[in-house]
Amino acid sequence: MDLVQLAVGKTLSSSAVFLMLTVLLLAAARRVSTGIILFALQSAIITAQVMATAYTEKSAEAWVVAAMVFALKVVAIPSALLWLVERLKAPRAIQPSFSSAKGVFVAALMIFLSYAAVQPYARQSTVPEDNLAAAVALILTGAFLMVSQRKAIMQIVGLLVLENGIFLAALATTFGMPLVIEIGVFFDLLMGILIMGVFAFRIRDTFEHLDVTKLRRLRG
Amino acid sequence: MTSLIHFVQALMIVLGAPLLRGIVGKMKARLQGRQGASVWRPYADLGKLFRKEDLVPPLASPVFRAAPRIVFCTTTVATLLIPVFHPAALLGGAGDFVLFVSMLALARFFLVLGAMYGGGAFGGMGGSREALVSALAEAPFLLGLTSVAILARSTQLSGIVAWTLRQNFFDVSAVHILAFSTLAMVAIAETGRIPVDNPTTHLELTMVHEAMVLEHSGPSLAFLEWANAVKLGLVMSLLVGLFFPWGMAAEPSLLAMGLAVAAFLAKMLALAVVLAVVESSIAKMRMYAVPDYLGVATATGALAVVFTVFGGR
Repeated sequence: MDLVQLAVGKTLSSSAVFLMLTVLLLAAARRVSTGIILFALQSAIITAQVMATAYTEKSAEAWVVAAMVFALKVVAIPSALLWLVERLKAPRAIQPSFSSAKGVFVAALMIFLSYAAVQPYARQSTVPEDNLAAAVALILTGAFLMVSQRKAIMQIVGLLVLENGIFLAALATTFGMPLVIEIGVFFDLLMGILIMGVFAFRIRDTFEHLDVTKLRRLRG
Repeated sequence: MTSLIHFVQALMIVLGAPLLRGIVGKMKARLQGRQGASVWRPYADLGKLFRKEDLVPPLASPVFRAAPRIVFCTTTVATLLIPVFHPAALLGGAGDFVLFVSMLALARFFLVLGAMYGGGAFGGMGGSREALVSALAEAPFLLGLTSVAILARSTQLSGIVAWTLRQNFFDVSAVHILAFSTLAMVAIAETGRIPVDNPTTHLELTMVHEAMVLEHSGPSLAFLEWANAVKLGLVMSLLVGLFFPWGMAAEPSLLAMGLAVAAFLAKMLALAVVLAVVESSIAKMRMYAVPDYLGVATATGALAVVFTVFGGR
């Protein structure tokens, strides 16, 4: 029991650090499959955090949410995306519009920025500063990935990272949203991924590639 | 007594380095499904080279023969600066981490100079590549060490290690994780291991370190190979000391020392396994990708330094 207590405490206190590490790695990733695996890892860290919160708050709802996060974000979505990458037979390299060193610099800047943005709020309340900063950093990096990546699947990963950030922000400030809303959000996410997957197929069929920068030209 | 311990720990790195190299080579061979050479082979190689004649190309200058000896000496002096199984070092009072980095840089400078004075085309090519890699690796190396130095409020490597030793293992701080990832990336570039340079390559176009030692022979080559092995041991025990020092002897008693030596050997063996797995599982990157790789290391190093002031616990 003491060991569980210790594990819960450490999960709550140090998961933010590992989340930031996944953010840096995502910005440096050169392959779509690496990005997807990093997203799964990030979701696994968030699952651990939800479980730790469920343990300390003794709420049954949070356990359900943890199970759903695990099933959906660690198992279902990453394997679906990996299957999609396999099916689309897209070239594995990402070809971002920036080098990975620059990407990591931008991600580092965003982590710094999120700390600066969160600090006045965290000082007034009991919200753990590190977790909130990690949430803001996830939102910013997700948006950055969506803007900077040229491959459609990597932009999906960016959206998922952004969603992870919003989920984490809710978890850090109010110990998660009510179960009904949570289920709705998950369903929404699943539908979104389905539509985006179909859309990626359509892009590939029409244009024979997944590079979204080439979509700007009209086909006559 | 304590200075004797410090002498022994430096001697252990210098004399044990070829064995470490042999162990890493053996593990790699096993992972790749080969039998592999004996772990003692690097010693036999060194012995053979020391008995051979030192051939000097007719175009080479005296620097060519002096360089390998200087490289070996500066690398050996650098071993006197790091704590191995006791959180103090022989030169720990006089030298800090900047001296450590500059000792390695001096060794590199003479290595490059010796390669360029050899008169061969490949030596110059390898030397210029090495200069590029080391110039880019220096900044993240210093940034990573600076961040842990700020945490420990000490610029001496032994002071940093002694401070880390007093901390609880489970108190993971952002600074330590970032500094560790920075220094691990730098360590690969510094020691010329696989994503950056292949130590066993025979293809001239991809060589960095091997191209520099191409013209050397006999005792000169032995000194260079030995210094390279010492550098691997040095950087690995620096990583072990800075981030996993638990098990080091706090007081200079014989029992504590024995346990500390055993713990150190176990940790080095674990790191050697990690190195062998990493080297067997990933491909060497293109030379043009190396600046990008080291740029990532610089970014994480800079973030580590920022975190010592900002979010670090």
